[in-house]
Amino acid sequence: MSGAAVLPLTAAQSGMWFAQALDPLSPAQNTAECLEIDGPLDPELFAAALRRVTAEAEALRVTVEDTPDGPRQRLAGEVEPPLAVRTDLSAEEAGAWMRADLAEPVDLAAGPLFGHALFRVGPDRWWWYQRVHHLAVDGYGHALLVRRTAEVYTALARGEEPAPGRFGRLSDLVEDDGRYRASPAFAADRAHWARVLGDRPDAPRLAGRGALPSRGVRRCRAHIGPETTERVRDLAARLRATWPDVLIAVQALCTARATARTDVVLGLPMMGRMGSAALRVPGMVMNVLPLRLTVAPRDTFAELVRQVALGVREVRRHQRYRYEDIRRDLGLLGENRGLVGPLVNVMPFDYAVDFAGVPARSRNLAAGPVEDLTVHIHDRADGGGLRVDHDGNPALYEDAGLAAHQERFLHLVERLAAADPHLPLAAHTAATPGESALVLDEFNRTARKVPPTTLIGPIEARAARTPEATALVFRDTELSYAELNTRANRLARHLQARGAGPGAVVGVSVPRSAELVVALLAVLKAGAAYLPLDPDYPERRLAYMLRDAAPVCAVADRAGRLPGDTGTDLVVLEGLDVSAYAGTDPARALTPAHPAYVIHTSGSTGRPKGVVVPHRAIDNRLRWMQHAYPLGAGDRVLQKTPSSFDVSVWEFFWPLREGATLVVAEPGGHKDPVYLSRLIREQSVTTCHFVPSMLQAFLSAKEAAGCRGALRRVFCSGEALPRESARSFARVLPGTELHNLYGPTEAAVDVTYHACDRSDGGPVPIGRPVWNTRLYVLDAALRPCPPGVPGELYLAGGQLADGYLGRPELTASRFVADPFGPPGSRMYRTGDLARWTGRGEVVYLGRTDDQVKLRGQRVELGEIEAALASRPGVDGACALVREDRLVGYVTGTADPAGVRAALARELPEHMVPAAVVALDAFPLSPNGKLDRRELPAPVFAGGAGGRPFASAREEALTRLFAEVLDVPGAGPDDAFFDLGGTSLLAVRLVARVREESGAELTVGSLFEAPTPAALAARLDADRPGAGDALGVLLPLRTEGDGTPLFAVHPAGGLSWCYAGLAARLGDDRPVYGLQARGLAGDDRLPGTLWEEAEDYVAQLRAVRPHGPYRLLGWSVGGVLAHTVAVLLQRAGEEVELLALLDAFPSEQWRGRPAPEEGDALTAVLRMAGVERTGERTREDVLATLRRAGSPLAGLPDRTLSRIVDIVPNHARMMREHEQGRYEGDMLFFTAAAPRAEEWLTREAWRPHVSGAIVNHDLECTHPELMRDRHLDEVAAVLTARLKELDA
Amino acid sequence: MPLTVEQIRADIADCLGEDPADIAVDDDLVDHGLDSVRVMTLLEGWRREHSVTADFADLAERPAIEAWAPLLGAA
Repeated sequence: MSGAAVLPLTAAQSGMWFAQALDPLSPAQNTAECLEIDGPLDPELFAAALRRVTAEAEALRVTVEDTPDGPRQRLAGEVEPPLAVRTDLSAEEAGAWMRADLAEPVDLAAGPLFGHALFRVGPDRWWWYQRVHHLAVDGYGHALLVRRTAEVYTALARGEEPAPGRFGRLSDLVEDDGRYRASPAFAADRAHWARVLGDRPDAPRLAGRGALPSRGVRRCRAHIGPETTERVRDLAARLRATWPDVLIAVQALCTARATARTDVVLGLPMMGRMGSAALRVPGMVMNVLPLRLTVAPRDTFAELVRQVALGVREVRRHQRYRYEDIRRDLGLLGENRGLVGPLVNVMPFDYAVDFAGVPARSRNLAAGPVEDLTVHIHDRADGGGLRVDHDGNPALYEDAGLAAHQERFLHLVERLAAADPHLPLAAHTAATPGESALVLDEFNRTARKVPPTTLIGPIEARAARTPEATALVFRDTELSYAELNTRANRLARHLQARGAGPGAVVGVSVPRSAELVVALLAVLKAGAAYLPLDPDYPERRLAYMLRDAAPVCAVADRAGRLPGDTGTDLVVLEGLDVSAYAGTDPARALTPAHPAYVIHTSGSTGRPKGVVVPHRAIDNRLRWMQHAYPLGAGDRVLQKTPSSFDVSVWEFFWPLREGATLVVAEPGGHKDPVYLSRLIREQSVTTCHFVPSMLQAFLSAKEAAGCRGALRRVFCSGEALPRESARSFARVLPGTELHNLYGPTEAAVDVTYHACDRSDGGPVPIGRPVWNTRLYVLDAALRPCPPGVPGELYLAGGQLADGYLGRPELTASRFVADPFGPPGSRMYRTGDLARWTGRGEVVYLGRTDDQVKLRGQRVELGEIEAALASRPGVDGACALVREDRLVGYVTGTADPAGVRAALARELPEHMVPAAVVALDAFPLSPNGKLDRRELPAPVFAGGAGGRPFASAREEALTRLFAEVLDVPGAGPDDAFFDLGGTSLLAVRLVARVREESGAELTVGSLFEAPTPAALAARLDADRPGAGDALGVLLPLRTEGDGTPLFAVHPAGGLSWCYAGLAARLGDDRPVYGLQARGLAGDDRLPGTLWEEAEDYVAQLRAVRPHGPYRLLGWSVGGVLAHTVAVLLQRAGEEVELLALLDAFPSEQWRGRPAPEEGDALTAVLRMAGVERTGERTREDVLATLRRAGSPLAGLPDRTLSRIVDIVPNHARMMREHEQGRYEGDMLFFTAAAPRAEEWLTREAWRPHVSGAIVNHDLECTHPELMRDRHLDEVAAVLTARLKELDA
Repeated sequence: MPLTVEQIRADIADCLGEDPADIAVDDDLVDHGLDSVRVMTLLEGWRREHSVTADFADLAERPAIEAWAPLLGAA
C-alpha cells in the first residue's frame, strides 16, 4: 500500500530525535512494558489484535529521516507488527530475552520503532512484552495501546467485532503543536519560566556532579505496599494535596539533605494531555518541567507539601513550554549543564485491563534515558500499592549508591506518612536508622581506657628509665635524657619562682635549638601551660598575643626578642645562671585537667585566638599515636615544625616519652627541601612530618630520594593531601609509610588518621577517629548525614580543647552541646565540609565558609586544585578567585597553557581557571602553610580573541568552535585539538559547519587546518579537503621546528588516533602519521610488512631527509615502526627514539589463526569504538558506522570497504613477517589490564632489540591506551623522553 | 449501586477539597484544580464501588460533571 504521509516532528518528538542523534547507537530511548497475564491466551488472536491496533495507531507506523529541512516523520500506510511468540522459555529466559531486545538500538530511519513478544512462561501464564521508541510513544501512550489491545483481543475472543477505535491522528498533535508555538500563550510561558528560573541555584546533583546520559540505565526496584500507600493518600488528603505531591515533597527533602542545599529544583515529567485531543493519541507528548522548592529545616513537612501542591499547580499552567526550550533560553544547551536535579515521574496510568476476562498486571521495564536520577512512581490502578523504580545514570551511580538513595527515600516515605506533618523538617533525618547507627556508633567505636597522666609525666618517667639514651641532637650538640631533664628542671624551678605553676601561662620565644626544647619542658615541668611566640612573627602580632594570653612570664633566648611594652615579665636565657637550682623533677600540683599549652590560631575576623588544650587531651593523642605507630629507642624524630603550629607538639614530646631521639632542625630549615633531605639522611631520621604543600616541594627536590632506607614513616596534616602528592611520594620513597592526619588546633593536634596506599585512587581520606574521639558529619539541622552525603564535620570526645582563652562567647559558639554524647558533653564545630565513606573513613571536602561563587555559580576550589594536580607534570596546585576570575597556580614541569586546555576538557566552563600561572615554588607562611596572599597576580594576554576577525567566515567558524568545544574564549588561532577537541566533537563541528554554511568539510581537514583561521582559509580557497586526510603521510601537527615524530598506523591503516597524542606533546613538536596505502587511491595493498615499511621510509624522508629519527607505533604500527627503524639504521641513519605502544613481534602471532573477514569487521567497528552486535556483512558495518556518527562514517564507502581489506591484510603480513634487529633502546608501553591473548609478552622483543626495553605499565586494555587518561600518561612519559633527547 | 450526579459531584468536591455547591455541572473541572492523578483516584474509587467501565481518557477528555454523568452510568 502506498500513500505514505510525511509530517514534521512535534517539539516533543524533536527533543527525543536530537537526543538519539547525539548517540545513534544508544538503545536508551527504548521504553518497554511487560504485562503479566495469568490465564489462557490465544496467540493467533493476540497477533490479530496487535495488527488491528497497529493499523489504528499512527505513531507506531512512523520512521524518521533527516532531511535538509530538518527531521521528518514518514507515516506508512501498513506495518506488520513484529511479534515474537515463544512458548519454550522460562520466566528467567524470557527476562533475558527482553533485556537483550531492549539493548538493541533502533534505527529511526529504517523502523519499525516498536516490537512485541509473547512468552508462555507457564501453563496459562503469559507475558506480553511491548517495546516502543520514546520518540513515538510516551508512558501514557503505552497505556493507551495496552488498553486498546486488551479491548480488541477481548472482542475477538468473544467472536465479536471490536468497538471502533478512537485513536486521534498524529497530524492533530503536529497541528496542535504548531498552533501553540505561534500563540501568545507560548510567549507568556517563556516569560514565566525565564522569571522563575532566572536566579535559579545549581542543579542539585545527588552524585555531586553531572554527566551525559549513558546508553543504559541503572535501575533499582522497590515497592510501597498498600498500607503505606493508603497512609500516604490519607496524609495527602489531610493536607489537601495529592499523594504525588507528598512523594515529590519527600524527594525534595531527600535532595536537599543529600546536597546540603535549601533551594532545590526537581524535574517533573508531565503527561500534558488533560482536556486535550492528545488524550486519544498514543504518541509522544510528555514534557519535563522544573519545580523549584525551598526546603528549610525550620519549615514543616505540611508546609513543604503545600509548597509542592501550589508549585505543581503553577507548573501545570505553563506545562506546554518544552524543557528543551527552557534550557535553550537559559543558555544551558551545552553538555553537562544541568537545570534540574532528580526527576520525580509519577505515572498514574490506567492499566486496569483484562484479556477476555483474564486480568493483567503491568510492570515497566524501561522508561527512557536518564541524565541524572529519575524516581519513577507507577500507580497501576490495581490496588497493589505503588511501584518505585530509581533509574540512575550509570556514569554517576553504582548499584549500592543508587540503592542507598532509594532506601533513604522509602524510609522517609514510611516515616513521614506516620509522623505529625507539622513537625519541622529538621526532625527528620535523611539517614535510615541503620545508617544513623553506623555513622554515629559503629564508625565511632573508639573508647579506650587511658591512665590519667599528663603531657610531661611520662617524659620524666622515661628520663628516669633511660638516662643515658640520646634525647636530643641539634647541630653538634647531643643531650642525653639525663642532661636534658636536669637542664629543664633547673629552669623549671626558676620559672616556678617567677610564678609559673598549674593553670598559669608562660610564653616561650626561642628560635629552634636545644634551648627551645629545654624551655618548653621547663614550662611544663613547672606545671604551667606554654604559649609559643614564634620569633619570626611580626612584633605587632607578638605584642597582641602577649596581651591576649597575659602569661605570668615569658622566656626569650635574648633581650629584645619580645616587644618590651606589654608589661610581661621576661626571662632572658642569655646570661641566665640557673645552676643554683636543683636538677631534680620539681613538685607541682598538676592534674590532667590543667592546660598544657595555648596556641594562637588565626580568626575569621582577623583577630588571633588562643586555643587552650588540657593535658588529658594531648596525653590521649600521644598515647594513641604510640599505639598506632610504635616508636622505639632506635627511632629518630625530626623536629622542624615551628612551635606556634600544633603539629610541633607531637614532634617535641612524643619521642621524649618513648626513649627515641629528637633531631632538631636549623631555624628556617623547615622551608628548605635540600637541607631537610640532607639532615634526614645524615641524621638517620626515621619519622617526620610535612604539610602537604611542603611535602610536594620536598618530593620535587631530587635529593629527596636519598632519604630512602632510613625514613620509615612520614605524617601529613595541616592541609588537604592531594592524591597526586601521595602518588609521587610512593614513587620517590617507595619503602616509606605515608599517613594522612587531620585535626584542628581545637582538638589536640589530630583526631583522624589514614594510611595512604599507593593502589588507592580518588581524594585521600582524612580517615577514621583516634582513641576516645567521635566524628559527626551533620546536616544543617544537626542530624547525621549517611555515608556519601556531605555535611559539616563536628568533633567530640577526649581531645577537645577547653576553648578560647578569655573568649567565652566565641567558645560557646564553636563548642556546642553534643546531642549524641552523654549529658554535658560538647562537640566542636569545625567549619569543614566532609562526608563519610562506606568504610568508616571521612573525606574532607572543603570549608563551609570559604565557598566561592563565580558568575552566580558555586565553585569548590578544592575541585579545581585536584583537577590541576591531576595533570601530568603538575607537582603542586592551588586555585583562588582574584577579581572575579578563577586563577590556578601550579608548580612542576607542565606547560600552564596546556594544563588550562586540559581542564577545559574536563570541567564546566565556569570552573576552568581564566589563567594558570606556573610558579617555581609556592609561597609559604611562617608555619609552612601555603600563603595565598603572596601568590602573584596573573597577566591576562589580551583576551582569547586577541585579534580582530579577518573575515565573516573566520568569525562564524570561531563561534562554532566555541559552541562545539564549549570554550567561550576560543579565538581564531586556537587549534581544535588543543582546546579539547575529540574525534566525536570533530564530527559535531563538521556537521555544524555543514548546517550553517553548507560547506563540506571532512574530519580529516580539521587535522590539517585545525584553527578557525586556517579552516576559513581552506574553505575560502574552496579546497574540498576530502581525501587529504587519507594520504600516506598525514600531517597531524606541522608547526614547530623540533625534530618530528613519525607515528605509524594500527591495523586499520588510519593514523587519526594519534591526533590526541600530537595535541599533548606540545606546540613545538611536529607529528606526522603514516597511513596505509590504498585508503584513498586505487593502490594495491602491500605484500609484506618489509615492503610496507620501505614505502614509509621513502615517505618520511620526504619530510626529513636524514636522521636522527623518532618513531612510534601502536599495535601493528609498533611492529611497522620497528621495521622502519631497522631499515633506516641499515641505510646508515640514526634512530634516536623507537616507542612501541602495546605492540608485539610477529612470532607471537604466527600460528595463531588469522582473522576471517568477520573478525575484520569487528576490528573496523572497534576502531569506531563500537562493539559488534548483529552486523553480518560489510554493508551492515558501514550502516552501523554511519548511524554511530563515527568519524569513519564520514569516509567514502570505498574507503571503509578498503579498511575491511586492510585489516586482514595486516593480520596476514604480521604472521609472515621476519623481524629484523634494531640497535638501541626501545621505549615500551604495556596495556597491563588482563587480556584474552595472555600469551603476548614484550619479552618477545628481546632478540630484536640490542638495548634495553624500558617499559611503562598502564592500567588499561589495548584499545583504551589511546584514550584520554591513559594517553595523558603516555604523553607525559614521551614528553619527558623527548625533552631528554632535545637536550 | 449506580452513581448519581449528586454522588459524582460530592466525590469530586471531596477530592478537590471544595464545597459541592461551588461546582456547577458544566464547570471545567481543571479550573477547580482537577489533574490526572485526581482523575485516576476518582476513577479507581468508582470502579471499585460502582462497576464503572469508562477509562481515563474518557473522563479526561471533557472534565465536567455533565460530560461524565452518562459515561459513569448516571445519566
